[in-house]
Amino acid sequence: MGSEARRRSREKLKEQRAKERKAAQRRKNLIVVGIAVVVVLAIVGIGYAVLNADRQEDFAGDLAPQTLQEDGSVVMAAEGAEAPVVEVYADYQCPACRQFELTTGDLLKESAAQGEAVVHYRPISIFAEQQVPISSNSLRSAAAARAAADAGLFVQYNDLLFEHQPTEGREGYTPEQLKEWFAQLGPTPEQQEEFDARVDEEAEVVSRFTEDFLPPLAQDAQEQIGQETLGTMVLSDLLAWGADNGHDPSFLDGTYTGEIIEATGNAYTRFSGDNALRGTPSVYINGELLDNDTAMTVRGLSEAISSAEPGEVGTEPMGDGGDAEQNS
Amino acid sequence: MRQTETPSSQTPATDTSPTSSRPGTGARWNTVQPWLTLACRLGLAGVLLYSAVSKYPPALSVQAVEAYDLFPPDIARLIGYTLPLFELALAVLLLLGLATRFTGAVSTLLMLVFIAGIISAMARGLSIDCGCFGGGGQVDPEETTYGLSIARDIGFAAMGAVIALWPRSPLAVDRALGLFR
Repeated sequence: MGSEARRRSREKLKEQRAKERKAAQRRKNLIVVGIAVVVVLAIVGIGYAVLNADRQEDFAGDLAPQTLQEDGSVVMAAEGAEAPVVEVYADYQCPACRQFELTTGDLLKESAAQGEAVVHYRPISIFAEQQVPISSNSLRSAAAARAAADAGLFVQYNDLLFEHQPTEGREGYTPEQLKEWFAQLGPTPEQQEEFDARVDEEAEVVSRFTEDFLPPLAQDAQEQIGQETLGTMVLSDLLAWGADNGHDPSFLDGTYTGEIIEATGNAYTRFSGDNALRGTPSVYINGELLDNDTAMTVRGLSEAISSAEPGEVGTEPMGDGGDAEQNS
Repeated sequence: MRQTETPSSQTPATDTSPTSSRPGTGARWNTVQPWLTLACRLGLAGVLLYSAVSKYPPALSVQAVEAYDLFPPDIARLIGYTLPLFELALAVLLLLGLATRFTGAVSTLLMLVFIAGIISAMARGLSIDCGCFGGGGQVDPEETTYGLSIARDIGFAAMGAVIALWPRSPLAVDRALGLFR
């Protein structure tokens, strides 16, 4: 009886100890997991603070004067500025271009206003050959931006377009929206009227181009010259081929839609090798392509600008005076 | 008394036999497993480290998240900024071998979330790059690699699962703290 009781209490003690060991182990586990969570929070928190510090304050000053160029692009530069030329090739339907604008838009405005950079905005449409509505959104918005440039409001309108960029593959940049956003910039009634008419015209050209003209042209070209050659052709070359093969592109003549398509072809053929334009946004300083780490961060871009020599703008200002050169 | 003691006195003898500490596990497994877990830790840490670094700069990472069309812009921005940092943090924990089981499990969960995201993009007919290792955004429909991305993530999830199930491994802070010895 006595030995039985001793045995029992011994077992109890053993159980008790095992329990305690388990509890201690569990406690240790929890503490270690707690430390791990703290490590994670520290890395994420500190990292987020560091990444977020790469930010430009909103630019609230007066924009540098913007000058419409012969090819439809726009140069924003302080009077007589001798500074590096920052060329921005962007497509209004391209999400990375929107990120570029959100990240560095204010830096570019400030650099231009202070005469530290000559900013050359070169809207193109790399999506013109894609499916509707990606293609049509891209072309319609670029044409509208060109129309805004006629009123000397390109840079402001450029911001609004990126701010309202439709999700890729969704209908957006409708003529009504395009007009409404322009109205927010406070144009004169004549400017608004001119803009609205132009947007409507271009919208028709765009839908004719993307829906009626391009699909049969692309099909013919594919059958006659093959996908392989076709893949290497820029859109303006394809149009030239079409003109000789029963697809008359003359309805694009004199339209801003046609101008954007041509600007896109020129952008693709202008650069070669490592410097080649492969997508958007493509940012060049004095003709040298910047890598993403440089172009897509405020620190990278501002350092690249401040370390570059003054450059030359490669295009000529639009010759018809008047509203081409406007201060805002 | 004697009869009950006999089997217990035999226990040390069975201990030295191939089937030791845990029932159903072999001695060979016991020697191999810590090294397998270490290999998974280092491998997965490498993958996470690379994926975190390749997502820089954050502006492009945000764009890759937006391409999934699942979150409002502010949330997409937050994810685009913090996801690579979270991956980096997991990589650090795996390299240190700190809270090994927990980290392995969380890594597996993260991979499952990625797989769910890719399947959802696929199901909605999006043609995007997964943005797993930088890049991301719209691609041509024939250039999508959903199958490959999912298979890859399943592999990474399995590595995390190995770590979570068998957290015992050499060169781990856990071991110094008396865990998973």
